[in-house]
Amino acid sequence: MDILEQEVPKQHYSEKQKQEVFDHEFMPHINSMYNFAYRLTFDEDDAKDLVQDTYLKAFRFIDSFQQGTNAKAWLFRILKNSFINDYRKKKKEPAKVDYQEVETFYNSEDVDRQITPDLRVESLQNLMGDEISNALNSLDVDFRTVIILCDLEGFKYDEMAKILDIPIGTVRSRLHRARNLLKEKLSEYAKKMGYKNS
Amino acid sequence: MNHQPPASDKPSTCMEMLQAILDGDATPEQQAQFKEHMEGCMPCYKEYNLEMVIKELLKTKCCGQCAPPELIDRIKSQIGTKAAS
Repeated sequence: MDILEQEVPKQHYSEKQKQEVFDHEFMPHINSMYNFAYRLTFDEDDAKDLVQDTYLKAFRFIDSFQQGTNAKAWLFRILKNSFINDYRKKKKEPAKVDYQEVETFYNSEDVDRQITPDLRVESLQNLMGDEISNALNSLDVDFRTVIILCDLEGFKYDEMAKILDIPIGTVRSRLHRARNLLKEKLSEYAKKMGYKNS
Repeated sequence: MNHQPPASDKPSTCMEMLQAILDGDATPEQQAQFKEHMEGCMPCYKEYNLEMVIKELLKTKCCGQCAPPELIDRIKSQIGTKAAS
């Protein structure tokens, strides 16, 4: 299973070391992993299964993980691949849109072009409750994912590129597009709030 | 309105610079340059504040989910069984 193999020599951990790596390097990320899984599947049971599968795979392939390297990125990569390869197939989700094409189109335009609707800090502050979460959840999965990885989890371009198996330039443009889509959504909510309050 | 990019080779425009900051990819020098530029540039100042509020909201409102304890137990017991076998 090459997706789990890093470009490092295979490790030879003792059973005790395996357990240590698992407990001290993998388990501390369980909340982030669950949050990611939940935001991909929108279902608590599916999220639990996805996280459990990920951790079992991580343990099975623990010799491909070099102690002290970026465990969180490695785990996120396994989870993302499990989601695409296992979960989506099981759920028979429709084939995904080719975002590469969307991005190429997008990149051909002036990046400075302001497509941000009239969204203001004050109107954001009036959004109570779950609007931001709903706005994030409304994005297509590829756009949602980059926002989660960057803004919620603080991954860098090179880490996101590895987790998602896409070039850094694509990470950058996808993030840019995702942020604009998120702002559009928030702007819709803010407008609705404005109508209600007026 | 004067909307000139900060004096820097790369990224080439201030909006690109803003994105690099948001994405956590800007160097401290680039960040300082952008902040200086922002003081005289209203569009950049507004956009920066808006994006930062959104980023902050995302972190505070979308990160709170804790893994259910029974999931942690389930994983630990499965790994324990595997390790023992």
